[in-house]
Amino acid sequence: MNSAFINILKTIRRSNWMLTIMVVALLFVSVMFVYSACYVGEDRTMRPLYERQIVWLVAGLACYITLALYDFRHLKSISWAIYGGSLALLVLVLFIGSTIYGAKRWLMLFGPNGIGIQPSEIAKLSTIILLAHQLSQSGRNLARFRDLAMMGGLILVPVGLILMQPDLGTAIVFIPTAFIMMFVAGLPFKYLAVMSGTGIVMIAFVLSTLFLPAKLGAGEETQAKIRNFSGLKTHQQERIEVFFHPEKDPLGKGWNKRQSEIAVGSGGLKGKGFLKGTQNILGFLPRTVAPTDFIYSVIAEEKGFVGSLSVLGLFFGVLTFGMLTALRTRDAMGRLLCVGVVSLIFCHVFINIAMTVGLMPITGLPLPLLSYGGSFMIMMMSALGIIQSVYIRSHKRDAYG
Amino acid sequence: MSERDRANIERMRIRFVLLAMLIAFSFIGVNLWRIQVLDTSEYTSSLDKQSMRRVRLPGIRGRIFDRNGICLADNQPRYCLAIYTEELRQPGKWSRTIDKVEDIIDELAAVPGELPQGGRNEITQHINRRLPLPFLAWRGLDEIALARLSETAKVFPGVDIYVEPVRVYPHGDLATHVLGYVGRAAPVKNENDRYHYYLPEMEGKDGMERAMDKLLRGKSGGRLIRVDASGFKYKETGEREPIAGNDLHLTLDLNIQKITEQVLENQPAAAVVLNARNGDVLALASAPTFNVESIKSWKSWQKILANKDRPLINRAIQGHYPPGSTFKPLVAITGLENKSINENTILNCPGYYQVGNRKIKCWSKHGHGKLKLRKSIEQSCNPFFCHLGILSGYDHIFHMADSVGFGHRMGIELQGEKAGLLPDNEWKRRVMHDSWRAGDTCNISIGQGFLLVTPLQMAVFTAALANGGYIYRPRLVNNGIPNGDLVNRMAWSAKTMKIVRGGMYDVVQAERGTGKRVKVDGVTMGAKTGTAQYGNGKKHAWMILFAPFDNPRYAIAMVVEDAVSGGITVAPRMKKLIRKILVMDGTLQPETESPTFEEPAQG
Repeated sequence: MNSAFINILKTIRRSNWMLTIMVVALLFVSVMFVYSACYVGEDRTMRPLYERQIVWLVAGLACYITLALYDFRHLKSISWAIYGGSLALLVLVLFIGSTIYGAKRWLMLFGPNGIGIQPSEIAKLSTIILLAHQLSQSGRNLARFRDLAMMGGLILVPVGLILMQPDLGTAIVFIPTAFIMMFVAGLPFKYLAVMSGTGIVMIAFVLSTLFLPAKLGAGEETQAKIRNFSGLKTHQQERIEVFFHPEKDPLGKGWNKRQSEIAVGSGGLKGKGFLKGTQNILGFLPRTVAPTDFIYSVIAEEKGFVGSLSVLGLFFGVLTFGMLTALRTRDAMGRLLCVGVVSLIFCHVFINIAMTVGLMPITGLPLPLLSYGGSFMIMMMSALGIIQSVYIRSHKRDAYG
Repeated sequence: MSERDRANIERMRIRFVLLAMLIAFSFIGVNLWRIQVLDTSEYTSSLDKQSMRRVRLPGIRGRIFDRNGICLADNQPRYCLAIYTEELRQPGKWSRTIDKVEDIIDELAAVPGELPQGGRNEITQHINRRLPLPFLAWRGLDEIALARLSETAKVFPGVDIYVEPVRVYPHGDLATHVLGYVGRAAPVKNENDRYHYYLPEMEGKDGMERAMDKLLRGKSGGRLIRVDASGFKYKETGEREPIAGNDLHLTLDLNIQKITEQVLENQPAAAVVLNARNGDVLALASAPTFNVESIKSWKSWQKILANKDRPLINRAIQGHYPPGSTFKPLVAITGLENKSINENTILNCPGYYQVGNRKIKCWSKHGHGKLKLRKSIEQSCNPFFCHLGILSGYDHIFHMADSVGFGHRMGIELQGEKAGLLPDNEWKRRVMHDSWRAGDTCNISIGQGFLLVTPLQMAVFTAALANGGYIYRPRLVNNGIPNGDLVNRMAWSAKTMKIVRGGMYDVVQAERGTGKRVKVDGVTMGAKTGTAQYGNGKKHAWMILFAPFDNPRYAIAMVVEDAVSGGITVAPRMKKLIRKILVMDGTLQPETESPTFEEPAQG
């Protein structure tokens, strides 16, 4: 008993403190600005949101520590089980999930007002774990079509299930994350070229269905018909349209994008000060999204360029330590786990911030560690715990001792 | 491929991926720099544009005082019950906020005792148009309601007492024609665009309120209100205090004005009391008068417009009347100054004056016989003055009248002053297509014919008779300078003045003077009556008067429409007026009913 406790302490001592410090710093920023985003709202249920965020944060830290202590190598044996379990939840949510804003994303525990979990978040992590496991198996050769197809299948099953909810934003982050993992795991350049090419063609196709008919002078009805070939829902089409033509409907569909940009831009170099972001206080930045998808706008408005760049720097620090861990470990699965988690964080951070500052169409993706939200927080903290676990077990003596 | 080689390839690719991520983040960082540092002013201005509302605050209007510092036009606080919608806002549909405001109003209604007009529509309109401003549910709360509300209002959120200034005239109808009234000003051009919410000030619509509007009107201020995304007021971020307008001091004497209006008895009539020494307008009255309050409602306004006596006309400056015999002193002066006659010239009055084939009758059926100028003024003998007019020649009469100011505006500050009509040969040819005849000269010599004057002109002329020929511009604005604005100095000789004023002395003081009814014991004065015929045997009755006879201070002209004669209709009113004026300034003892008692008391 005593020796087990000492072991834990020894393990913690070997952990990467810089990563933990940066994660805790981001969590601290999260609580501050979730508070700032909600404290003036006339809707009183929003006000204690930051308190709940603290609860999620504590739960997330617990997962972080637990998974750091847990030897990631044991994941090899249970990766299929986790993957299978998360797929089962994804199926389950399609049947008994509660519908919010026309999408079934949530499984409610303890009654309709209890805790909601998002199976898609669990699926992100479980897919990364299974991919890391499968890609790291000796004899796996991505140059072989059979292996490549199998990887593709592993990814596309959860993506398909998530698209059925529907949740395009979440589904989209699977693709680049898996792609980077496969790239690191040795995807040959010819496949790389083919896949990149396919991606570009697909984007080009979607954009042309949206804009080409209008450019060619087709009637409204034809335009609408052709648009539906893109496979996007109307609101998704609108978001893309608004991105390219923000002047079209600034009060309606273009509202969030425009208000978020004004919030970021009016922050200036040093910002308006904590709790002084007028865009947020006056409700131009809609209160429903300010603490979640648009938390970065709140930070950028109140802390200015200095603050927003610092947050970006913190994220890059987290990514760098994740990648350094990947470089350092000798365990092939550990390496790919780190790459997967880093890629996932990168995709979230990049897409979220790019959309906040108006560089990308609006997609409902939260910002890791900062946005309000339980499932996402716990998933992210667990993922970071896995990186820490890989780091702890990458010491030479430990690996072979 | 060995595990080791494979690990090395993976590490290479990891470094590559990390570099790509660094580039991607740098891309975001550069864009943050562009948006937050380079273009920040652009975003700040869009932010202000969508969240700032400018409200114009009207300046407070200056007050108007009479010459003794009595307030004639004032601003009084009007207490309103204001509902601040931002504190009552309800989440969700607008109709819920409107319901809430309505509920509050219903609950509060018990205090003022009645529901405000408008109701739901007005609330909706307010929310649509003027959301950041308080909604004024009740205006003009009385003291009882106010006292009760100041207790109750605390209980309700978003309810407060709001004060707005309103123009009041503490003396009611008094001097309405002089003071005028105010109305909501039309938005100032160009200024309108700069404000989202324009609270207009009051603008003078008539009288001195209008004439001196620039002085009285303050400078508008402004308030910046920050609104939230729904348009509710969030907070006031800045204010520029409006600047109050300047006070206006009039030459008017409220007490004299009061008596003047009393003696006119609200029948069509007008009177002007001037300080004979400098042209200060001590009273300027036109009857019938109207109530300023009544112009606020459409119904009573229509009633005023429909009144055949036309109360809106300021007869003192806009009424055109033939002056009748009150014009005779001017003809007398002309004759004397031109040496057409002298004080001893005797002219005959057989009861008429023959000009061409026309006989101009004297009011005395049998005629006055042979008489001199002074007597002819006392008796107001028409044939004498017709003869005198012919002797003088119309050109001289015209020039004299023209230099005194007949046919011209007197230049009082009030707008809409009329010039009257002093006809000449050219005018007659142009308008009547006929040349000037001796009969026209006769008519004008007795103040008839085409000649038209305003009571104000007659008052100025009377003042000149009183002060020996100084034509002062009648002035209402009291600038503190005792010297009048001299317009013209008539070169009337002392001898001339003595004769004419002597005649006017006799009008009052002589036993059979035409204006003997104006006689006041204890003081002497000069006057001239007039009874001007117009239309079908109808008559306007005149009297001009200056008092005291030596060193006169007051010059008064009064006209009463459709009256019997100056001596009968006007003189008693004039007596009441001048007597009270002289009592007020201490010349006479107050209200000594018995004239016999007065003499020994002074002795």
